[in-house]
Amino acid sequence: MQELLDIVNEMREEAGKSTIEKLEPSMDLRDDLELDSLMLAELTVRLEDEFDIDIFEDGIIQTIGDILIKINGK
Amino acid sequence: MKWIIVTGDSRGVGREIAYQILNETDFGVIGISRTSEESADELLVKYPDRFRALSYDLANVEGVKQLYRDKIHKIGPIYGLVNNSAMAYDDIISNLNIDELETMFQVNVFSAMHLSKYAIRDMILHKTQGSIVHISSISAHTGYKGLSMYAATKGAMEAFSKNTAREWGSKGIRSNCVVPGFMETSISSTLTDEQKKRIYQRTSLKKETGIASVASTVLFLLSDKAKSITGTVVHVDNGTI
Repeated sequence: MQELLDIVNEMREEAGKSTIEKLEPSMDLRDDLELDSLMLAELTVRLEDEFDIDIFEDGIIQTIGDILIKINGK
Repeated sequence: MKWIIVTGDSRGVGREIAYQILNETDFGVIGISRTSEESADELLVKYPDRFRALSYDLANVEGVKQLYRDKIHKIGPIYGLVNNSAMAYDDIISNLNIDELETMFQVNVFSAMHLSKYAIRDMILHKTQGSIVHISSISAHTGYKGLSMYAATKGAMEAFSKNTAREWGSKGIRSNCVVPGFMETSISSTLTDEQKKRIYQRTSLKKETGIASVASTVLFLLSDKAKSITGTVVHVDNGTI
């Protein structure tokens, strides 16, 4: 979870947005974390590099919880 | 060291592009071609640290992901991609054979798009402001009997390139096409001398396009000298009209 938070915050800072204290599984990637399609692409490749899984490869990912299920269930 | 992928590097323009990159820049070259010919061996001897030759048939689109994950990714960060590999299925439209057409689209379009996908993902991961160059063809701009289907693959890549430029420009990733006229390469080897003469007569300079001139234009578009150039096509075609 900490690695995920670091990546999200780094991208948010680069986009001129404030950092986030804590991630919750219910947080929506687009609505709550304000990640656009290019930021989601960066998140995908960084998670793939870290955890060796392509989170968007098969199915829709909406929330932090969806990502955790993918990472933990691989 | 960062790397530039060059497909179809074993002969013709691809070989010249690989050679010029190795000779004139500090980048490494990852060559992808079906056959490892003598040219690849020569480059391996001359540039053992900066040249890698991967044997792969780009008609196998599904395998491109594994090619990237198992081999390309492990070599090093990608700075550039030159989509040069192509097959030419030429015939008049009334003879269209769907199997031949599908194979041509797999090599010329689908694999080229797939390689672009993984090159861009690699550039995002390493925050590389990279450059993609697709080798198009004059046939996409000027009609020739028998080349409609081949030209369609090149037209597809030109449209793909322009939209790639728009989509990834904010990350500093550029995408351009080079449009060569007819060259003396294996892809035009099925033409008769008479056909070639007629084609060359349609150019301002009245001869075949120089392979070295095409390769040096690719090198320019890859380089920082072209850092303000994206989403465009550069004709290297002896002034085909």
